Amino acid sequence: MQTVELARVRKSYGGYVAVNDLTFGISAGQIFGLLGPNGAGKTSTIRMMIGIIGPDSGTVRLFGAPLSRKTLGRVGYLPEERGLYRKMTVRQNLVFLARLAGLSVATAANRIRAWCERLQTAEWLDLRVEELSKGMQQKIQFIAALLHDPELIVMDEPFAGLDPINSIQLRDVLMELRGAGHTILFSTHRMDQMEKLCDAICLLDRGKSVLQGSLNEIKSSYGRRFVQIDYDGDARCLASNPLIDSFNDYGNHAELRLKPGADSQELLRTAMKALRVKRFQVMEPSLEQIFIDKVARTDD
Amino acid sequence: MTEFRLRNVWLVAKREYRARVRTRSFLLSTFATPVLMGVLLILPALVVGTSVTGLERDAARPVRIVLACDNRALADLARGEMLRGGRGRYDISIVSPLSDTERSRLVRQIEESEIDGYVWLDKPALAERRAVFTTNRMGDFVLHNRLEAALSYAFAAQSMVNHGSSATDVATTLQRVDLTAVKPTRTSSVFNAIRGAAVVFVLLFVMCFSLLSYGVMVMRSVMEEKTSRITEVLLCSTTAQELMTGKIIGTGGVGLTQIAVWLAMAGFGAARSPYIRAALNVLDVGPSILIFFVVFYVLGYLLYSAIFAGVGAIFSSVDDAQQWNFVIILPLIASSGMILPVATSSDSASAVAASIFPFCAPILMFERIAVHDPPIWQIVLSIALMLATIFAAMQICGRIYRVGILMHGKRPSVREITRWLRYA
Repeated sequence: MQTVELARVRKSYGGYVAVNDLTFGISAGQIFGLLGPNGAGKTSTIRMMIGIIGPDSGTVRLFGAPLSRKTLGRVGYLPEERGLYRKMTVRQNLVFLARLAGLSVATAANRIRAWCERLQTAEWLDLRVEELSKGMQQKIQFIAALLHDPELIVMDEPFAGLDPINSIQLRDVLMELRGAGHTILFSTHRMDQMEKLCDAICLLDRGKSVLQGSLNEIKSSYGRRFVQIDYDGDARCLASNPLIDSFNDYGNHAELRLKPGADSQELLRTAMKALRVKRFQVMEPSLEQIFIDKVARTDD
Repeated sequence: MTEFRLRNVWLVAKREYRARVRTRSFLLSTFATPVLMGVLLILPALVVGTSVTGLERDAARPVRIVLACDNRALADLARGEMLRGGRGRYDISIVSPLSDTERSRLVRQIEESEIDGYVWLDKPALAERRAVFTTNRMGDFVLHNRLEAALSYAFAAQSMVNHGSSATDVATTLQRVDLTAVKPTRTSSVFNAIRGAAVVFVLLFVMCFSLLSYGVMVMRSVMEEKTSRITEVLLCSTTAQELMTGKIIGTGGVGLTQIAVWLAMAGFGAARSPYIRAALNVLDVGPSILIFFVVFYVLGYLLYSAIFAGVGAIFSSVDDAQQWNFVIILPLIASSGMILPVATSSDSASAVAASIFPFCAPILMFERIAVHDPPIWQIVLSIALMLATIFAAMQICGRIYRVGILMHGKRPSVREITRWLRYA
């Protein structure tokens, strides 16, 4: 049984189709990445997944069952558009959201204390939200999404606006939660984080899935055609080399993709004739390269 | 997904209630308004002191008037009439005959505050029946009316005596007619001009002010959640319908709390202060009126706040919502304009129609009940129509709310809003 199943889901707003015939599934205990450029339909997909809006057609199932208040009670959600009641204290906000999620006052108080100590936010509990910085508010909302111990955690851009230390702290928490069997869905533009955290991804473009599956499988299907070169000299002569499909030159560092069947050793020999090569590395494509490649290709 | 959780409604209502009740503006409007109301009610009661016996008893000292009259017998008759109606409020002395020295002395007495005024009736004035009242109490029209009535009585009585009538005949003939308007169903409850004006005043102030301010409060609250982007977090645990209902109930509770505080303060004031007791007597408020007030207030609030919630969900700022606000409050403005016509001709076809129209009923039907006892079928019909309209407004505005609270950016067109109704 998959934790999340979307089958041929469609959502339009007037004449604009936000999500078109989308199908994917998320297995239990996975960290799943939902990727896509702005307006790709990520937020609409997430909103349909947790029942905030209904699809025009298609089905959404959580924990093997159609959406219901019961299944949605097992979901924790951190939306991209975040907010708390500014005039209320952190504690009042958290108690209110925990109570809405079904917790008793006592359980809510215990969990709030535990999570705030874990994320070093306990000293903010009696401050008004308006007294907190954006990053501090974000940590509070992160806690609010986890208070009822949800089996499925949905996070839209969870690291946006956080400094590196807090990002690592939240990432560690998420890894712990995955270790404890929770399923996590991410939506983010931060490909580097997605690459480090996700087991599987779905890449959306203009409401449609253009690529999905296990991250390892996707990367290996792209082959080892990506080359990074650190050099001294003028690398412009490589740009027109018939072995190269695409070429990005950064002055003393270049990233390029070989044409199918091209020999990387031959490229190395050519490069050494023109440049002083300090590093030459053939590697799997980064998620960002795959993302750009896929989105650029659908544009063509 | 259609399950409606009362627990969530309660939690949302409770949060809304606590957040609103703790604001400075609530405390200010709750405690400053009765003071203002008290001043506005007591002032007319002080001025229209004739019907307010409590006030008269509490007056610090009687009003001292000198009747300076060349006809001693006439002055005695006028004095007797003044004292009879004045219930100890007036101290009337007589000067007769008159002279310029006497007049100068009276003027000096006024200047030195020994007397409050004198009526000058020399022989020419007696012949023309033209008295002159010299006083610093120029605005006391009650005193002026009473003096005028007493002098008219004295002239009539003396004329009758001169024509051979006995003192008893004079007293019987000139006895004043006491006209009292009584409702057909409530003989103990009197409705007169002062009471009507006071009820109208309270109606206008409490009902309109409260419906408007708490409706707008619901709208602001929706906007606040929308712009602070908390709505999406809330919608993960609760439905839009629960959220809207909780918000309306919570804010309505704040309104009822305010009214309850006002009533409690009025009750406390009535127990402690004869001025407030007198002012409340003027209002003629019985328990049934209070029950009807609460019923119509609650119904009116539910209707208007549902619409305000829908408008709050459409727009992101109060400025953007301004035009729509005007459309919403138009029936309230129209109702306010009809309060006086309805008070004077409560059974006219237009008054009946307007009081049954759901958007005007909270004010006009309640007003008709307060001043006239309309037929029961009209009350039932107006309540039934209001309930049906509230149900429809909740459905339509709930749909707009459900979509609107997630929409940001440019102001939606009417066409877009009608589309929201379809895909909510």
